[in-house]
Amino acid sequence: MDKQRDFVLRTIEERSVKFVRLWFTDVAGTLKSVAIAPAEVEGAFNEGLGFDGSAIEGLARTYEADMLAMPDPSTFQILPWRGEINPTARMFCDIQTPDGQPAAADPRNVLRRALSKASDMGFTFYIHPEIEFYLLKSSELNEAGEPVPVDKAGYFDNVPGGTANDFRRRAVQMLEELGISVEFSHHEGGPGQNEIDLRYADALTMADNIMSFRTVIKEVAIEQGVYATFMPKPFTQHPGSGMHTHMSLFEGDTNAFFDASGQYHLSKTARQFMAGILHHAPEITAVTNQYVNSYKRLWGGGEAPSFVCWGHNNRSALLRVPLYKPDKGQSSRIEYRAIDSAANPYLAYALILSAGLKGIEEGYELPAETEDNVWDLTDSERRAMGIQPLPQSLDHAIRKLEESELAAEVLGEEVFSYVLANKRREWSDYRSQVTPFELHQNLETL
Amino acid sequence: MAGLGLSELARYGFVELEGAIAKLDQLVDAVGDSGRSALADLGESANPDQALNALLDLSSIDRVSVRKLLSKTDSAARLVRTLGASSAMVDLLRRRPDFLKIFEAKETALPSQSELRKRFIEALSKDSVSVEERWVQLRLTYRRELLRLVAFDVTSRNPVEVFGIVSAHLTDLATEALEAGLLIARDELVDSCDQGIFTKSEVNSTRLSVIAMGKCGARELNYISDVDVIFVADSGSEDLDRDRALEIGTRLATRMMRAMDGTASEPMLWQVDPNLRPEGKAGALVRTVESHVNYYERWAQNWEYQALLKARFAAGDERLAEDYLSRLKPLVWSAAAREGFVEAAQKMRERVLDNIPSNEVNRQIKLGPGGLRDIEFTVQLLQLVHGRTDESVRVSDTLSAIEVLNAGGYIGRQDAIVFTSHYKFLRSIEHRIQFAQMRRTHLMPESDAQVRSIARGLNSRWTSTQLMERWNEVKLEVRSLHQKVFYRPLLSAVAKLGDTAQLSSDQIFDRLKAIGFDDPKSALAHIEALTSGLSRRATIQKQLLPVLLEWFARGSDPDSGLLAFRRLSEDLGESHWYLRMLRDSSGAAERMTQVLSTSRLATGLFERHPEAAAWFEDSNDLTALTLEDLRLEMGAIVERHDETEKAASSIRSIRRRETLRLAMAAVLGAQSMAEISQGLSDITESYLLALKDLIDDGSIDLGIVAMGRFGGAELGFGSDADLMFVYRPLESLEPQKTAERQIAELRKLAADPVLEFELDIDLRPEGKNGPVARSLESYAAYYDKWANTWEAQALLRARVIAGSEGLVSEFTALIDRYRYPTEVEASALTEIRRMKARIETERLPQGADPKRHLKLGRGSLSDVEWLVQLLQLSNGAKHPSIRTPKTLEALAACVSEGLIEQHDATVLEEAWKLASRVRSAVVLWGSRKSDVLTEDRRQLDGMARILEYPSGSAGTLEQDYLAFTRRSRMVFERLFYDAK
Repeated sequence: MDKQRDFVLRTIEERSVKFVRLWFTDVAGTLKSVAIAPAEVEGAFNEGLGFDGSAIEGLARTYEADMLAMPDPSTFQILPWRGEINPTARMFCDIQTPDGQPAAADPRNVLRRALSKASDMGFTFYIHPEIEFYLLKSSELNEAGEPVPVDKAGYFDNVPGGTANDFRRRAVQMLEELGISVEFSHHEGGPGQNEIDLRYADALTMADNIMSFRTVIKEVAIEQGVYATFMPKPFTQHPGSGMHTHMSLFEGDTNAFFDASGQYHLSKTARQFMAGILHHAPEITAVTNQYVNSYKRLWGGGEAPSFVCWGHNNRSALLRVPLYKPDKGQSSRIEYRAIDSAANPYLAYALILSAGLKGIEEGYELPAETEDNVWDLTDSERRAMGIQPLPQSLDHAIRKLEESELAAEVLGEEVFSYVLANKRREWSDYRSQVTPFELHQNLETL
Repeated sequence: MAGLGLSELARYGFVELEGAIAKLDQLVDAVGDSGRSALADLGESANPDQALNALLDLSSIDRVSVRKLLSKTDSAARLVRTLGASSAMVDLLRRRPDFLKIFEAKETALPSQSELRKRFIEALSKDSVSVEERWVQLRLTYRRELLRLVAFDVTSRNPVEVFGIVSAHLTDLATEALEAGLLIARDELVDSCDQGIFTKSEVNSTRLSVIAMGKCGARELNYISDVDVIFVADSGSEDLDRDRALEIGTRLATRMMRAMDGTASEPMLWQVDPNLRPEGKAGALVRTVESHVNYYERWAQNWEYQALLKARFAAGDERLAEDYLSRLKPLVWSAAAREGFVEAAQKMRERVLDNIPSNEVNRQIKLGPGGLRDIEFTVQLLQLVHGRTDESVRVSDTLSAIEVLNAGGYIGRQDAIVFTSHYKFLRSIEHRIQFAQMRRTHLMPESDAQVRSIARGLNSRWTSTQLMERWNEVKLEVRSLHQKVFYRPLLSAVAKLGDTAQLSSDQIFDRLKAIGFDDPKSALAHIEALTSGLSRRATIQKQLLPVLLEWFARGSDPDSGLLAFRRLSEDLGESHWYLRMLRDSSGAAERMTQVLSTSRLATGLFERHPEAAAWFEDSNDLTALTLEDLRLEMGAIVERHDETEKAASSIRSIRRRETLRLAMAAVLGAQSMAEISQGLSDITESYLLALKDLIDDGSIDLGIVAMGRFGGAELGFGSDADLMFVYRPLESLEPQKTAERQIAELRKLAADPVLEFELDIDLRPEGKNGPVARSLESYAAYYDKWANTWEAQALLRARVIAGSEGLVSEFTALIDRYRYPTEVEASALTEIRRMKARIETERLPQGADPKRHLKLGRGSLSDVEWLVQLLQLSNGAKHPSIRTPKTLEALAACVSEGLIEQHDATVLEEAWKLASRVRSAVVLWGSRKSDVLTEDRRQLDGMARILEYPSGSAGTLEQDYLAFTRRSRMVFERLFYDAK
């Protein structure tokens, strides 16, 4: 640690950093930030920064209020949007209990645990997400009660002089300044909808990156006078914002998913991993798709992956095996398409990874591939083919989660019961709402 | 050979006497008179028969050389003893008779490392040969030098003394072989057709360094073992980017390893093992310095830091290695300052011991008890504890470490000498076992003939029995040395000990802290009190404390354990049996430290009953007394005493004593949970019966009804006794008043400030508002008129423990009508369900987390019990087998009757058992009752130990509890609320 810590302290001096933000994530996936003065940084490295955990959702039980945030010096970055006048930096933190144990309810720790299980099995987990979001004129709604997008363009459209272009250029620049490599960015299907793909990294780094990403996007939007949202489905008539994630396991330097002789060049490990994810997909959906609104995306048609199946380049499948590029054994990977842009990445990736590993451990059989567009099949056809639906509402997903031994084990009993309680509350609040839909449908006729 | 008697041959050490004479004659025939003089050398060799056979073989291959060698005394000795010691070397010479030349040389010293390097380079200098031929050259060069070394080793005057030189030379030899392997790999990457895909300048610009780890790193290699290495690479030129350099480095490293262990006409040397690298087998073979550092800073575990202690530059780019070492070595010492580092190291050691197959334990020279690992472990532990503040002890090999630890005053002079000589002795045995057949083994051979060769190799006068005896002595001493060297000096500041290191208080604090004492200052004060003075007790304790400290350190609360021991020791003073037990029965003393450092309940009771210390000696004393025994003993007191208060006081004392017995049994795992529950219920029952006898004046027939957990004989430590009272008037005119007076008196007598006794009568009809006792008729009238389901349910666990026979049977018959009704109305069942639902929200204390409440919490005791009671209430009339006040018995009966699925019952049973055990553990650990699973890590850890988890399991216990009860709650909800 010493070298990295020294680097941080030196950089703070050299760049005259005025504030250092300590970042961590609560169980719901919201980024929390505590700013400290440069003089306090050294102490924070040595002893951690004490804070009242009870103020943070799901982090601590009320009578266990004292928690320690331990900054991870390898995550130190100067925040680009703060400018050069009063430079501000940030570090991600691991949360510890006062006796120096990792806090059971720290999502970063949940992911660390899952990764160390993978590493015990000899695997490193790499991912790259394709993050979709909408750019709106503002967070205000119009007279019809709908959000207003910044443009009316579609998939891959180049909008001359449009906000979206400038926006993406600026966002990509900031991300790169934060050390987050961008693979690709383009306009997505909906008006004002954009997608930015991050270059692959190990899962912990990527989860940190996603948290930074959301902040960057929001900051750039403010700078440009627009509003960015990661809400899974802000428009009834336009596609939702997903976070399709490409995943691969490496054993040392070799891609464990690759086998030159396998179908689609998939190894046995890959097939078992996929089987694991498919088997457990319904029970982890309450985490990968954690809001009431998430289910409007999953069941809103279009290309949303509503059914548990896999396919080669099948854009309606939950798990897709992307087109194979010859001679690129290292790029063998699979794409999980349910997760949305509002998930808590630490928890979601911990669960997806563990589901896959379970498949390897137990030697699950991968069901047959689905070649048809699953949306075009009838219910009976799907039943005949053994294709299950994902949960159709948050309520349904909670019920699946409740019975999941896998989720309880991976999240730890504390986080598990917190997530359940939190989601049950959201569902019950939602259920009591009278929606515009009902008013439109019923008010005049009844 | 003429004139040679068989017994003379036997004296020389031959086994096949008859054959030897003929063979000696053959030898003389073959090589002339020098064959005669060889006899003396054969007699000095480890295995004369083997040596003689080999001489014959070799002279049939190269008569001239053998004759020449045998004609000179020193070359003859080298040859013959080598042949006698190592059949592997015999095979080598058969294969390569030209190596016989080695024995001619009169070298007294072994070649230096630079000389070795020259020899390797020379052997590889031939151009235009294939890679495989160069591998062969490398291996032959290595083996020639190895042969030279064996010859040196077996002819040295004292094999044990030259161990250090031999071991260092083996390291040099391996190191130079690695360097040579690297040389071949570099040429190969540029030239050979299948590998030559990089340009010469690219390969030359690639910096690669081989870091030796483990025994090779510490320069204390064996004759044959894996050589542990780590690779570091970087680009040495701006034209070569780092990724490319890493790619080339990886190829270089792989090919270098193949030079040692790849297939070629000359067999492999040894395995090069690169698995100590970051991420082990899964990690990249070659990394940059930066990447190594990153890994250690972020991910490395304690043992990985420990491994770094021995890292050393071996081959390749020396500056790169220096960079690596200078950045990583300091990390070791900052890691050693971490909490739990020492504990983790100790755990590793225990795991190693556990993993030895039992049939090998006694033959293990390295890993067994009293083996090399014990010495290495003690030395490393001391280095880790004191190396944080004292840089002088940071050396890598074991012998130097002992020396510097002695110089620094951390090991006494005498101990250092013994340690050193035992270490060398064990390693010399190991060497001899290994070079006999050049096999990688640390096991003493099974065959006596082989053991005999090893014995003779160390001392040509030794027999196999003598070696084994000596070895066993050494093992015994080594086993006690850890104790002596680490723990004994802890007394040095306060007690005069002539034979141990004198540590400063700060150094003692370091050690005490490292083994888990939170308050080393007070610990030292206790040590002082226990050892001061000239009494017999002080003398014995001075002897014993080092080992006791080690045991206390294993408990969850060493500080209070030591304090308790001090108190106990002061109470028992000079009691003869106590001192004898401490001194003679080590098992007893160990059990005592375990109880004192894990259970405050037991420790507290000990102060009242110090004589209970005697029970540690015999596990039979930890068996619960039966109800009859208890009744007899207490009954005798009632008979003996006229004065009620005096008698009650004696009876209270018995209850404390017996509770202590069970507490000890529980902490030591001497009794099962079921036995302890039964025992505690028996104690409570006999206690109440004896006290009742004291106040019984014959005016009424007072019956006591055990309810709740007491009724089910399922008491834990700290459980209340739930009771109801029923009476029948005899002579009393105001029976109700008499009953109430007697009950008040009983309550008064039963109260015990030392070991709390809570008498709870809230389960009676009308609860708190009802009369404390009722007559049989009053019960009958009440139940007839008012009985609600709630009361019927409480009666399921009623068991009448006192009263006349008639009263017992009549009352039991009365309540059976209500608790096992022939028909239960649906509305009654609904009422029970609703009541349960209400209790869940109302009875839980304000702000309590339902997940952590042991009694009323999610899936814990009350959930399981209510479900079982619901089943009993609805089916008890039809299925008499489920009529029992015991929860688990009832549950099992319900399974047999098909009232509940086995799987569901198992889930419920596990949760119920764990919650019960945890509740008891709370009281055992802290001597205080609590219905909430604590958040305190230390307490959780202590409870986990009582529940027989390994140390450091606070988190596991918590997870287990939450998981078990979550599953049980799911079953409960399905069967209790949903089932109709």
